[in-house]
Amino acid sequence: MEIRDENFRVWAENECVYFDGVLRLAGPDAYSPIYSLAASLLHEDHARVIFDLTGLEFLNSSGINLLAKLTIEARKKPEIQLVIKATTQYPWQSKSLPNLKKLYSGLDLQLA
Amino acid sequence: MADLGSIRSEAVLMNSVSSKNRPWRSFRAKFILVVGSAVLVDLLISGGLALWNVQRLSRDATEEVGHGLEQASQDYIRTYADSTVAQVSLLLDQVHSDVGVLAGVLQEQIDNPRQQIDIGSAISGVSPGSVELSFDPAGQWAQNAPGSPSVVSAWGYLLNADHNPRPDVLADIRASSVLDLVAPSLLKNGASKLQMYYIGPKERPIFRTAPYTDQAQTFDRLYPGHNAANFWDFFFPGLYETWQSQATGHTGQAIPVEITQTAPYTDAITGKLIVSFFQPLWSADRRSVAGTAGTDITLDQLAETVENVRVAETGFGFLAMSDGNVVAISGRGEKTIGLRSTSDAKGTGVTGLERSLKGSSQPAIAQLASDPRDGIRHISLDQNGEPVPFMVIMKTLPSINLWEAGKVRKDAMSLGIVVPEREIYASLNAAQAEISEATNRIVVYQLLAILLSLVIVTLAVFAASKRITSGISALAGAAQRIQSKDYSVRVAVTSRDEVGEASEAFNRMAEDISYHTENLERLVKERTAEIEDAKEEISILNAQLKSENQRLGTELAVAERIQMMVLPLAAELASSKDLEIAAYMSAADEVGGDYYDVLESEGRFKIGIGDVTGHGLESGVLMLMVQSVARALQEAGTTDPVKFLVDLNSALFKNIVRTRIDKHLTLAFLDYDGKDMLISGQHEEVIIVRANGDLERIETMDLGIPIGLDSDISAFVSTRRIPLEKDDIIVLHTDGVTEAENAHGELFGIERLCKEAVRLHQQSADRIATGIIDTLMSYIGSHKIHDDITLLVLRHR
Repeated sequence: MEIRDENFRVWAENECVYFDGVLRLAGPDAYSPIYSLAASLLHEDHARVIFDLTGLEFLNSSGINLLAKLTIEARKKPEIQLVIKATTQYPWQSKSLPNLKKLYSGLDLQLA
Repeated sequence: MADLGSIRSEAVLMNSVSSKNRPWRSFRAKFILVVGSAVLVDLLISGGLALWNVQRLSRDATEEVGHGLEQASQDYIRTYADSTVAQVSLLLDQVHSDVGVLAGVLQEQIDNPRQQIDIGSAISGVSPGSVELSFDPAGQWAQNAPGSPSVVSAWGYLLNADHNPRPDVLADIRASSVLDLVAPSLLKNGASKLQMYYIGPKERPIFRTAPYTDQAQTFDRLYPGHNAANFWDFFFPGLYETWQSQATGHTGQAIPVEITQTAPYTDAITGKLIVSFFQPLWSADRRSVAGTAGTDITLDQLAETVENVRVAETGFGFLAMSDGNVVAISGRGEKTIGLRSTSDAKGTGVTGLERSLKGSSQPAIAQLASDPRDGIRHISLDQNGEPVPFMVIMKTLPSINLWEAGKVRKDAMSLGIVVPEREIYASLNAAQAEISEATNRIVVYQLLAILLSLVIVTLAVFAASKRITSGISALAGAAQRIQSKDYSVRVAVTSRDEVGEASEAFNRMAEDISYHTENLERLVKERTAEIEDAKEEISILNAQLKSENQRLGTELAVAERIQMMVLPLAAELASSKDLEIAAYMSAADEVGGDYYDVLESEGRFKIGIGDVTGHGLESGVLMLMVQSVARALQEAGTTDPVKFLVDLNSALFKNIVRTRIDKHLTLAFLDYDGKDMLISGQHEEVIIVRANGDLERIETMDLGIPIGLDSDISAFVSTRRIPLEKDDIIVLHTDGVTEAENAHGELFGIERLCKEAVRLHQQSADRIATGIIDTLMSYIGSHKIHDDITLLVLRHR
């Protein structure tokens, strides 16, 4: 499964969801397919689910809202280990992603 | 689909039509032209070379054969001449030998007088008829009677008055009778001789001749007056004197062989042309001439040898004296070289023959007489008015002593052989003709072979070109038919080569064209209907889009209105006696959810800045709610910044759940009580530039969490105190400033913002805000502004 346009690509492989490029969609409605894609993994029987953001250059505030909702969704399923792989290469990630850790302390935020 | 037969007939028809249209520009014509030219050039070159070589070979062969044959012919003639000369020489040598034998016998008699007398007496006794002469009153001479082997004549001036021979004459008659013993056998053997004879010395020139003839009678008839003169002086003037002078030693013998030969003359006895050979006899003391032994041969004998010369068909020989007088030649030869014989009637002595080369009617022969060198020469003789080339070979015989016209001189006869060149070269000509004929035959065969090759190649090219090009012609014709909109045409696929493939492809294309053409109308109708349906659909969608746009436009307008409505008034910004506040907000095309506020209550200032996620009406409404709740909490006297934010979040979260606005916001507040500044809540970094230009950046990540995500955020909210002195400035912004992009997609960034703040920090808040915004806008240029841009500048007065 893959969602993409000229600027970004989001796809799932097994238990991992990869985010790539620049995501600057207009709002919650625009992000809902991506939300469905990522949330579906949380509803499957995975021991852990990984969101790999290392290729995501930019994510606007609506996108960060999406990650927050997914984090809250994961918080409801403590049996699933949510891992977010991130990079300090893109400033927005070190700025926004620690908030997710605040929302859900069980989140494994790998900011490298 | 048409049946195969009609396809074939169509193809044939097209073929003929197309080739009629352009017979000389067709592919086939070009093919034939190219292949034909190549073959023609090849044939011409090879044929020409072959012909040239044959001609050269023929020329060389002719030359070689000609050279060889000519050499052989000349060698043959030369050899022939040599052998003929040898034959003539042999004949003459035999004659010389016979004369020599007779002379030897007679000389022996002279040298031994006793023996002479004995032999004479013996013969007289045995054969008295040989020595007994009777006087002839009519002729006034004495001669023995017939019956003896020889006749002996004593001329009148040798007789006494009683008509008997003088005693010395009689002695000589007796002595000469030895001739009866020798001559008959000599005449019988050896070379064929007419007669052999003895002539006495000048003082008694008796004439004894074997065999017996009526010689005195014949002399009387032929040479009247001979009996009155000395025999020698009458018949051979000068000859005797020559010998005598030799004997007395006045002149040397001309040649060792003491034989003198006469030129040809008419024989007195037989009337034939003869040549006489004399060998003089000498007195015992060798001081004077003692008569002569002699023999005559007819010229016929020489002529026979010469005339027997048969070279080629009409070649002949001749024998000439050194003065050009021809002594032997055949009648035909005489005519060929244009000799004219004249009898020398007025000459002295025996009657000679004058038949000289010099008198020839042929200039070339006359010239030959003046230059009788040995060798082969080529001359031209006139025959019946036509010049005919002849080859002449001259060969000189051994020298002889010749008496002629009263003198004796050295002479040598020459043998000439004359052959028409065309006969000599007959074999050569035949060979040349054969070669020429062979050459011509080869040339003709070669030409025939070339022509045959041309015909075969032409036929083959025609046949092959028809096969090769028929497919292409059929294709071309079929294509023309298609051009004239006859889509039913198909070509017969007759080969498996590229043409065959092209034909198959053509048929498929023709079928497609046919199908498409026939179905075009239907297809157009279908497509038109489809397009009309699509158009209707598009119209409907367009209408929907229009209304949607309208709705969105309205929504955006409302959102923007709400956003602007709730912003603090200019008076509110200026209400602080300690703080100089400047604010700037620019909404993006689709209205972001930026928020800022300045709330004053009982001297406490609460300055807020926030950013709602997303755009549009909902963002605006959420911002309105934030502003309302913040105002309410301020009015309610909530002074604890932490409690303020926790309560605000609680209220907002419940409303977000209710309104199902799927958004949240960052939100930070500055609380100023006239002395310190307290910062709470999570938002962008707070920039502080001290009066001395020092820059401080306050991270707010640990001071809160976005509002509206969770129901209780009390665990995450805290405050930070910042001392604020005179001329210190604080710059607040939303991410619309730092994330603004230039044309290259590069962000404006916090560093650039800080740098601007430091650069402008000594100026008024308004000027700082304006300056930063100016720099930002020139950075963005014409690039799209994605988000709301909000900037707040606070300056401590």
